[in-house]
Amino acid sequence: MYAITCNGLVKEYKTQKLVRALDDVTFDVAEGEVFGLLGPNGAGKTTLVKILATLLRPTQGSAEVGGHDIAKEEDMVRRVIGYAGQDSERSAYFRLTVRENLMYFSHALRDVPVKTAEERIESIVSAIGFEERLDKHFIALSGGEKQLVIVIRAIVHEPKVCFLDEPSKSLDPLTAKRVRSFLKSYALEKGMTICLTTHNMKEAEEICDRIAFINRGRLRFIGTPKEFKNVVTVKEVVEIANFELDKVIEARLLAIQGVSNVTKSDGNVRIYCDDAFDVLKSVFNFLSDIGIKAHVSMIEPTLEDAFAIFVGSDSTEGK
Amino acid sequence: MAVWRNFLILTRYKANFLFEILTSVLVGGFMLLFSAAFDTSMLGQTVGSTNYVAFMIFGISFQNWQGTAMWSAADTFRGELSSGQIDYTFSSPFSRYWYIVSNIAANAVQSTIFFIPMFCVGLWFTSDTLSVTGISLGLMATMLSVAALSQFGAIFAALVLQYRQVTAIFGFFNLAFQFLTGMFIPFQLLPTPLQVLGWCLPITFGMDMLRHYVMRTNPLMPVEYEWLALFVQLLAMSVMAKFMVAWLERNAKEQGLHYI
Repeated sequence: MYAITCNGLVKEYKTQKLVRALDDVTFDVAEGEVFGLLGPNGAGKTTLVKILATLLRPTQGSAEVGGHDIAKEEDMVRRVIGYAGQDSERSAYFRLTVRENLMYFSHALRDVPVKTAEERIESIVSAIGFEERLDKHFIALSGGEKQLVIVIRAIVHEPKVCFLDEPSKSLDPLTAKRVRSFLKSYALEKGMTICLTTHNMKEAEEICDRIAFINRGRLRFIGTPKEFKNVVTVKEVVEIANFELDKVIEARLLAIQGVSNVTKSDGNVRIYCDDAFDVLKSVFNFLSDIGIKAHVSMIEPTLEDAFAIFVGSDSTEGK
Repeated sequence: MAVWRNFLILTRYKANFLFEILTSVLVGGFMLLFSAAFDTSMLGQTVGSTNYVAFMIFGISFQNWQGTAMWSAADTFRGELSSGQIDYTFSSPFSRYWYIVSNIAANAVQSTIFFIPMFCVGLWFTSDTLSVTGISLGLMATMLSVAALSQFGAIFAALVLQYRQVTAIFGFFNLAFQFLTGMFIPFQLLPTPLQVLGWCLPITFGMDMLRHYVMRTNPLMPVEYEWLALFVQLLAMSVMAKFMVAWLERNAKEQGLHYI
């Protein structure tokens, strides 16, 4: 049984010109699966999640969530879902405490009995070490803590399917790790399906059973994180450590035979190519031409590299 | 729950809470001063009571309830749209229509708390004509008319989803309703075409009946007809509001609920 099925979803916005935000998206997510939607900014991930959460209407295509049609059975879909959007900073009542906010949302809008809601809130916050913040006003929380409240709000009514739009945004690495681990075990324990969007490759690798890569509204890949990485293992990566990348240098590097993409990450420049040995020689020559000494190495491609390669190949296709 | 939420927020800031009540007392006091300077004979000829203080206080009360009924839900939606909370609200199965109405009710309860002192001044000024039955029937008519007007509020709230900025639309109707319903100027003094428009608004009957039952003013028509008109308006506006809320939400979702 599938928790989510999408069949040929298309979403077009009519602004000054017609914008196709989603283009023929088809995939299934099994019950209990943690499914990640990856892609660069503006790829269509949030649009897709909003359609599945009945917040947007698709232009074409159909989808079911929890066995209910998102267009014909909106109310039924809403009964089985949880949702955490990206706007966490102000999306709860400032002057209420975390506990009061969670009580209000779970009881008033989700009909969870008061006693049950209290127990669940206590249990979730203690699992993620958030007890001390429970009686703080929402306005007094940090950005990451607010984000955490929004994630808790999405699961406190124990939905069958939970949509989390960039759940670890604004969280520090340690908290993000703790939340990921909690979500994974919570989903397993409750049989909850999670569909999350992220730019964070580490997050996708740690928590997701499968991922879908979306770019320019189109589904480019679907499979496990390992399969995603394997797709690009044919590619090799040459890294120039602590190197400034400007448009001229980028153009010169891209002009080297066999180089398919150039990106910058953590102060290092990464060059994606089919054969690193061939490219290394040209890179050395180039560095010598411009009179720069730098540490150049061949490295194992990561999931982040796969992401960059996918985005790169898509933009090349676009041109 | 919406009332609980508002009450928590309201009473948490005690100095602010106290000053809201003091403001209400102050308005009541000003009305006492105002009454001394007003020629009441004109009022006696048109509505059958010379009690201008009570006339104005009940008008102000209705102005307050009208503002709450028509605008509070739209204001809630405006806030939720800009904060992003609207996504959570609209992904929940809670009826949109009842979400709007419960927010209006919560705000109406809140604003009524602050109006009690001033309202009491109004009642004190009607001590000659006041009875338990009169105040009960008057408040019942008030509640019905505010409930009917809340349906306008539901439509305004849903308009926010579609058009994002409806402050000017609200401002226009708010002012127009004040003049058309006899809130501050006796309804009988309005030209006939304006009176016809006024008949279509539930505030006209609610306010007229409150004044009639509490101040013993002459009703605009036999009160049985006014009750009937109020019930019909409440029913018709509820149906219209439910339909409009669903229709506007569907349209808004074509483009997304957020500010674009």
